[in-house]
Amino acid sequence: MKTRFKDEVLWHLPLLAAVFFQLWPLIFMASTSLKDLDQIFISTLNPLPLPPTLDNYRAIIGNFPILTYVFNTFVIAFFVTLLKIGTSILAAFAFVYYDFKGKEQIFNGMLLTFFIPITVVLMPNYLFLSKLDLLNTSIGVILPQMADGMGIFLMRQTIRSIPKALLEAAILEGAGAITVLRRVVLPLIRPTAIAMTIFFFINSWNEYFWPLLVLQDKENYTLPLALQMFISAEGGSEWGIAMAVAMLTSLPPLLLYLLCQKYILSTFMQSGVKG
Amino acid sequence: MRKGTIPVILFLLPAALVFAVFFYWPLLQNFYLSFFQWNMISPNMKLVGLDNYIEILTSPELVKILVNTVLFIVILLIFNFFLPYIYSYILGHLVQRCNFIYRAILFMPSIISLAVASIIFLWIYNPLAGPLSIVLNSIGLESPRWFKDSFLVIVALSTIIGWKVFGYNLIVMLAAMVAVPKEMIEAAKLENASNWLIFKKIILPMTSPTAVYVFTITVVFGLQYVLVPVNMLTQGGPDQASSNLVYIVYQYGFVFFQTGKAAAFAILTMLCYGVFLWAKTKFLDKKVHYEN
Repeated sequence: MKTRFKDEVLWHLPLLAAVFFQLWPLIFMASTSLKDLDQIFISTLNPLPLPPTLDNYRAIIGNFPILTYVFNTFVIAFFVTLLKIGTSILAAFAFVYYDFKGKEQIFNGMLLTFFIPITVVLMPNYLFLSKLDLLNTSIGVILPQMADGMGIFLMRQTIRSIPKALLEAAILEGAGAITVLRRVVLPLIRPTAIAMTIFFFINSWNEYFWPLLVLQDKENYTLPLALQMFISAEGGSEWGIAMAVAMLTSLPPLLLYLLCQKYILSTFMQSGVKG
Repeated sequence: MRKGTIPVILFLLPAALVFAVFFYWPLLQNFYLSFFQWNMISPNMKLVGLDNYIEILTSPELVKILVNTVLFIVILLIFNFFLPYIYSYILGHLVQRCNFIYRAILFMPSIISLAVASIIFLWIYNPLAGPLSIVLNSIGLESPRWFKDSFLVIVALSTIIGWKVFGYNLIVMLAAMVAVPKEMIEAAKLENASNWLIFKKIILPMTSPTAVYVFTITVVFGLQYVLVPVNMLTQGGPDQASSNLVYIVYQYGFVFFQTGKAAAFAILTMLCYGVFLWAKTKFLDKKVHYEN
């Protein structure tokens, strides 16, 4: 039943206000990155850079190893995503397909890791990596992030929703666990797997805290770490350049989001529904 | 359902190994570290027994940290629990036009890095030339020094998280809202029930499991998300006014190089998290209405 427009028109006001607050900082970042210093300080509030200039982008490409940062960020995000997806699917499959002692306890133990605050494990992990001589390497950033409690939870939800009859039929035909996983489960969970891939990739791309500790040399930095270099206490004046780096950091996630909006939104919507 | 011990172990091993080595073992190691005085570099670790615990529990700093933590949580709950809850009701039941566009736009900040969000808001809050100060000046007010005031710093930092997480929590909440059968609401409307009554009698009870979930992640993750702007913009300052129970562990470990106290704080933090999650299971989960 469609409501009449006059019934809902008032409710658009709070929504429009929220849209303004959510969108404005992003527009502001984009426009500041395209302004020169004069415009930044004189027409601060004007969302249109008149005339737009690419000087800030030229400056970061010319003066900083920004492409190295892009590369570092990509490599870490790529491997973290791949490994998280892999370990999540394997574990989730075992939780649905097999019956074993302590199943619920093991599952809860894995899900619980999702709630452990990062700083609590920071120091022991740091000491451990330094013993392995992996500080300052991408591998050191990737290693503790090879599995994800939430990933296992979401995957288990998805695999559980596959009709039992399908699995049974495959088993009756003599298929082993690996065959069932490859031929029956994987094709059916593809939408969730894709959305989770995007989700893990964006999260890892954006990550700040753990890379901050592991990566010490500037040439190993990721983009979020590089951003830190453009903060000069209070009254810094390189806002155009800082916003240009912020834009570069945000573009891949934004593009992924714009391309796969429906996937992402629907998967996120499922993530909160308990089962 | 199939049985088989060896395949189960093989399937679970990759994930289990990561969790054991990088989550559970470190938790235990914190206990060990908390009994020593050490600076992470020196070859000598001095056994001090419970001294680290006694020192952190009796320091005036602890009170400050706990008060800050509560303040952070309260403000985060407003932006990332109450507002998403109300907005998900509006989007789920009161507005039909442009619905998808609203969702898509409101969610957008969730995919932005907190490092990026921090730098944008540092400029927005800049008291000398930032856009907010210009707006305030134009209505005759003077911009406060957001990151230098012991209370405003918590407000300013929380709004960064509020901005980023609002859309995500809204979408999660919305899933529960749209799962409420439309027929029920239509029936109530035919009986001339007001929006408020529908909200209270139908929506509230039926969405409570997800609401509890969103409440939990707001508290549990909010304090962690806030680490990024805190570390980038204030380093816990001014005078520890923006440190919290999660950040203090990092500070003692990697800023003050007092491993023992850092580990003791880590244990305390885990304890608080444990109590919170336990209380949530005991008191909140019992009261909510679960479908299955």
